[in-house]
Amino acid sequence: MERLDFRDQISRNKRKSTILMVSILLIIVILGYVISLAFNPAYFSMIMIIATIISVLYVYIGFYNSEKMAIASVGAKKADRTRHKQFYSLVEGLTIASGLPMPKLYVMKSDQINAFASGRDPKHAVVCVTEGALKKLNKEELEGVLAHELGHIRNYDIRYITLVTVLVGMISIISQIFLRSLWFGSGDRGNDRSQLVFILLGILLAILAPIVVYFVQMSISRKREFAADASAVQFTRYPRGLINALKKIKQENIRPEKKISRAVAPLFISDPFLRLGRTHPPIDKRIEALERM
Amino acid sequence: MIGIGLIIVIVLVAILVIMAFSYYNRFVILTNRIDNSLSQINVQLKRRADLIPNLIETVKGFAKHEKEAIKAVTDARKALVSARNLQGKVKANSQLESALKTIFAIAEGYPDLKANTNFLELQRELAATEDKVAYSRQFYNDSILSYNNMVEKFPGNIFAAMYGKKKKKFFEIAEADKKLPKVSF
Repeated sequence: MERLDFRDQISRNKRKSTILMVSILLIIVILGYVISLAFNPAYFSMIMIIATIISVLYVYIGFYNSEKMAIASVGAKKADRTRHKQFYSLVEGLTIASGLPMPKLYVMKSDQINAFASGRDPKHAVVCVTEGALKKLNKEELEGVLAHELGHIRNYDIRYITLVTVLVGMISIISQIFLRSLWFGSGDRGNDRSQLVFILLGILLAILAPIVVYFVQMSISRKREFAADASAVQFTRYPRGLINALKKIKQENIRPEKKISRAVAPLFISDPFLRLGRTHPPIDKRIEALERM
Repeated sequence: MIGIGLIIVIVLVAILVIMAFSYYNRFVILTNRIDNSLSQINVQLKRRADLIPNLIETVKGFAKHEKEAIKAVTDARKALVSARNLQGKVKANSQLESALKTIFAIAEGYPDLKANTNFLELQRELAATEDKVAYSRQFYNDSILSYNNMVEKFPGNIFAAMYGKKKKKFFEIAEADKKLPKVSF
């Protein structure tokens, strides 16, 4: 049954990723259309072409460099083969157990116990852990955490979350542009037409925002975390390791991590912004589920 | 009327042909995965065997009187290297495992050896390869499970019969090996 479950999860993730990608492209095209109304409908085709090129480029760059951007945004460094020997050897063991290709390994500076995986597919995946995790977790616990991250990779959660991040970034760029043009626009008198269009844009963004929130929420759905936990157990056949790691994470007096951008929060094994709102199911629920395995 | 009947027949045949192709490919993928995971077991066992001579040299440097224990390890390694089939290799590996346990227990009595960085490194490395051997075995059995599910479940079983694909046996560990306690260094 479990096998069927993760296959479902994978195809669901792939399907949702495609939908997301199409909707990103659509949003940009619609925006281009609205903007062309603002100026002159005669420029419609030209603006459309530019909008399409920009959107394709944006999605292309965002999608194909996602793991590099995630790594750069948290300031992680490539793990050293001799210094982080255990890290390497545990991931090697887990790739054997799961049949996944070896991901690139990174370490980020932080005393908190945390880890994340990113990338567009298992062949272009990265796994990043904090120095705190390497220091505070024992071998079995670290293995449990790493197995959870490999679960995200195998289940294609990383692809979906990557696209969500791309979408969130795009919306924030667009709203920046919108706000700025309102700012500058207020100086000119502006004709009725462009005012109308800006109102339309405002409405559009108002509609878009909840959609984005919805996608973000979906990307961090409980199911995804539970499935990754289950995958971790499937790889290690040892739920204790992950349970103990989660307990240690819970015990830690968590201060919100300032360096981490909110867009990448769903990637982490435990939410780096516990106070700001939950992106993960409560740790107790996860431990409970693991203990039943 | 004949037209509609013909179209239905063509569509049905097309679906069947596509299914036959896709099932054939699934079987190929799953069989390859089994072969691949089998070779992974061998790779890990070989890596393990390669570590032994180094370990023996280090141990000899500090505790050359422990001839019996050293011999047990070298013998087990020889058996591992010369074993022809997987069963033999895995059996030799568990023999090696218990011989190593003795060596590491003896090392406790030699403070210099115990503190030797090379020795510690090898100890850690051997533990890591043992984990990998276990994982590769697990993945081998997982691959066989996926294959067997495919062979037995409907409609896979029909295509399995067509292509002459039969259920494969899991890799079983001998009863004695199962009782072997997991060594933590």
